[in-house]
Amino acid sequence: MVKTSELLRLDKVSKIYGMGEEKVVALDNVSLLVCRNEYLSIMGPSGSGKTTLLDILSTMMKPTSGDVFIEGVNTTKMSNSKLASFRGKKIGFIFQTFNLLPRLTALENVTTPMWINGVPRNERESRGKEILEKVGLGNRINHKPNELSGGQKQRVAIARALAMNPPLIVADEPTGNLDTTSGSIVMDILNKLHKEEKRTVILVTHDNSIGKKAEGHIFIKDGRVTTDKKVCNFM
Amino acid sequence: MIQDFFDIIENAMKNLGKSKTRTILTLLGVIIGIAAIVSLISVGNGLNRAVESQLQELGSNTIFVIPGSSMSFGSVKLTNADLSFMKNTRGVTDVAPIYATNAVMEFNGKKVNVQVSAVDATNADVFQGTSTFQVAEGRMLSSNESGSIIIGNTLANDFFDKKIEIRKQVLINGQIYKVIGILKPQQQAFGGGFNGSGSTFMSLEAFKRIEPNPFPGIIFVKTSGKDNVEDAADEIKEYMTDKYGEGSVTVSSSEKILEQVNQILSLITIFLAGVGAISIIVGSFGIANAMITTVLERTREIGVMKALGASNSKVLAMFLVEAGFIGAIGGIIGVGLGYLLAIIVAFIGQLSGFALSASISWELSLGALIFSMLVGMGSGFFPALRAANMDPVNALRYE
Repeated sequence: MVKTSELLRLDKVSKIYGMGEEKVVALDNVSLLVCRNEYLSIMGPSGSGKTTLLDILSTMMKPTSGDVFIEGVNTTKMSNSKLASFRGKKIGFIFQTFNLLPRLTALENVTTPMWINGVPRNERESRGKEILEKVGLGNRINHKPNELSGGQKQRVAIARALAMNPPLIVADEPTGNLDTTSGSIVMDILNKLHKEEKRTVILVTHDNSIGKKAEGHIFIKDGRVTTDKKVCNFM
Repeated sequence: MIQDFFDIIENAMKNLGKSKTRTILTLLGVIIGIAAIVSLISVGNGLNRAVESQLQELGSNTIFVIPGSSMSFGSVKLTNADLSFMKNTRGVTDVAPIYATNAVMEFNGKKVNVQVSAVDATNADVFQGTSTFQVAEGRMLSSNESGSIIIGNTLANDFFDKKIEIRKQVLINGQIYKVIGILKPQQQAFGGGFNGSGSTFMSLEAFKRIEPNPFPGIIFVKTSGKDNVEDAADEIKEYMTDKYGEGSVTVSSSEKILEQVNQILSLITIFLAGVGAISIIVGSFGIANAMITTVLERTREIGVMKALGASNSKVLAMFLVEAGFIGAIGGIIGVGLGYLLAIIVAFIGQLSGFALSASISWELSLGALIFSMLVGMGSGFFPALRAANMDPVNALRYE
């Protein structure tokens, strides 16, 4: 059977907070399609709903209505435990504030998703070192986050996002807490992940100069998304 | 699944190791509680064994008849008629009175009041092989040796400035006696036996020179078997009550004494174990408090773990195992400390002449360990549940 290269699909997704007169519509009937090997940015002003959109498409939050499909699987219908496991294997996260575990070394941070998701013990260390080498931190594997610069921390976070070899990388303002130089390094790495490793990268940012480095763009305003209708190519 | 389990344990150990001070302080409550309970049960079991052993030596078919309402010599003077009654009681095979009085012993220029006891030679068999009459030095009295005495170990070593050696002479109420035997050190598990550590033993004939009309202080009554002990004891008790009044003579079988001693021991153990239990309850609050603080501090970390693929049940397991670990570590240290305390208490008791020993058993150790682990997990349950149910989005944004 010939498969489509569709990776992520949102089908009429809405998210409403509160009830009655206190209702806030964060997302309003959003549909979008993300194909494999796309490099997309989601941009919009503050309060536009881009964080909510990110939370929903990354399965960290369930929509009030609508469906979210990842690799054809409807994640909205999954139980919490199945969803957690699915998320762990399919999505790699990069946060603005890095969110590294402070008491663990760089290598331990990178291998954390591996033990959570059942990677055999004897594979973890070698794989972790390999990924850290890839992001240029082969000589920092035993350093703790407080011994690393901001740019290095974000590179450890990227390495952690790659630990389970996920098809989708979601980055929430990845350069938001970095200086210009470190920010460039991080953006270069994301670019490489897309071009050389054929990963799908979704980047959320309020900074247009960062956002336009992506190949495709999704604009969100007042909970509504502007995107071209499309289909994904067949594989 | 097994790998998962080991990963969770490894994670728990790392997290506990990284906040050592908090872990140690949290452990203290559990350690003290477990140590208290283990030491009490250990000493209690040891004392129980000593009591049983002492009673077994005297035989489970022995009845103790003691004039007075407590286990000491009383004002009632039992007569030969009373002894005859006992001898003729159904099931009784031997009646062995120990006669006792006080006298003045003189040795090496010093005079000391001592207890002097005598057993009729015809009854000597009743005490054969019991710890009451085992010599450490010299030999036992033989029949009608009226110029010789055996002395208790404490009397030989501690009452005078100089040790009374074998073959030395002493004066008792002005009469010369030769020491032919020194008893082995005796330890008493309870007051129901006869402790000859500080006593002098002589033949009944010699005793009558000090006390011409001797009255028995304690009477050992042997029955033919364990089955008729209670009936014989009841019959003797009824006779004594009718003749001397309620409570004037104590009649107890060794089983009854063991039962009474066990009841007292149980009450004391329960009371003191209750104190230990209070300490554990306080300790469990300490664990709960530490876990609540930990969960709060690691809110973001919990959000990250969930983003990385940890399910609610995995997060619950992680924190439950951490709490259980605190309990387990506290339990291990508490068990070790408890046994150490029990050994020290037993040692001090033995120095004071009590047959205390520390009973160390794997059942007690394992039970205490499992208990402390359950206390840990129980205390940490609600904080762990809170962690498990945290919304990952809110957790990630927690400041």
